[in-house]
Amino acid sequence: MNYLYGWLGAGALTLVVVLGAHLMSAERKSESIQDILEAINPERRKLSYRVLNDVVAPALAGILIVIAWPIALFVKVKEWVRPDDKDKRRDQTEKQFSVDSSHLKERLSVQEIERREMVMDPLHAAPALPFGHLHNTWCTLIEGLTRESELWSFSAIWKAGWGANELREGYVLVREGVPGAFLMTVWSTIEK
Amino acid sequence: MTAQIAERLLYEGSEHAMCTNPLDDYFAMAGHRPPFGSPSTALWRGYVGRWEIVNDRLYLVGLSGTLEDGSEVTQASIFPDFPERAFAHWYTGTVRVPQGRQLKYVHMGYGSTFERDLLLTIERGVVVSTEIQNNGEADESQGQEGYGVGAMLIYPTKGRSRHRAQKDTDEGLL
Repeated sequence: MNYLYGWLGAGALTLVVVLGAHLMSAERKSESIQDILEAINPERRKLSYRVLNDVVAPALAGILIVIAWPIALFVKVKEWVRPDDKDKRRDQTEKQFSVDSSHLKERLSVQEIERREMVMDPLHAAPALPFGHLHNTWCTLIEGLTRESELWSFSAIWKAGWGANELREGYVLVREGVPGAFLMTVWSTIEK
Repeated sequence: MTAQIAERLLYEGSEHAMCTNPLDDYFAMAGHRPPFGSPSTALWRGYVGRWEIVNDRLYLVGLSGTLEDGSEVTQASIFPDFPERAFAHWYTGTVRVPQGRQLKYVHMGYGSTFERDLLLTIERGVVVSTEIQNNGEADESQGQEGYGVGAMLIYPTKGRSRHRAQKDTDEGLL
């Protein structure tokens, strides 16, 4: 019986430590984020959801920590010893779009691309130049073209931060097989 | 978060609210976005564009915005050589034009729903298809006609004159 009390006592102590660490390090939920979450899922406004989310779930987690405290302690110590793991996870979720070699379609010359991307408008509301209003961006891209680099077209399906799939197409500078700077000509959300 | 003021679209002889921001794509593709200031929680993007469809092509025909320092932004600031009409060849996607009475007000982005949505599918600035999507029917007593924003906070912006704010309101931009 003493062993059981000892185990649960250690669990209670772990719970206090974990809770204290959580309160000290947790980022405050901003009101605007709350608004967004509630707009996406109106269920969040209901009392039953709030009781479940704010009372039942934390209480169950607390009981679990008291019972299986070595696991909670291991996770917490790991977080303290290697905090960069958490940052890495965060970096992955906020990853910026970049062209990958799997997105490459076709190697093209400057002339071929400029022929393809000539913009003509009957109302003369765009420069009659390759890439029209984005001509300067194109010029900046090809300034980076060297003997070792190539121009490729690319097409990618990209999962945006907010969950939707996007089609992104354009041209990219490839140096020693590695895609670098790029210019997008299509950036659209793929409807479900 | 607050429902956002819509862009304006001149289409088939009348002006509509347009719940799509093609200019944001232009700034992203060009790799430069002017530092717009937000005069209101209902206008986080900091500008309102006026668009027109002519011969199945999407054009920007007006822009009203304010930079963080309070200076005005017009179409000429973004497209100096095309101050009155710029072909939106950079835009590929669906332009949403809500129509009819409001079914549900959502105080966030362009989240509110209306009886119908006119959906214009655009590829590189050219309208390739149009579709009317029916979302339901509102009761006579329910919902306002047309797109609107419920409530907003308006921030005093440096250099933004009362006259300018009134002008924007009169022109239906704010």
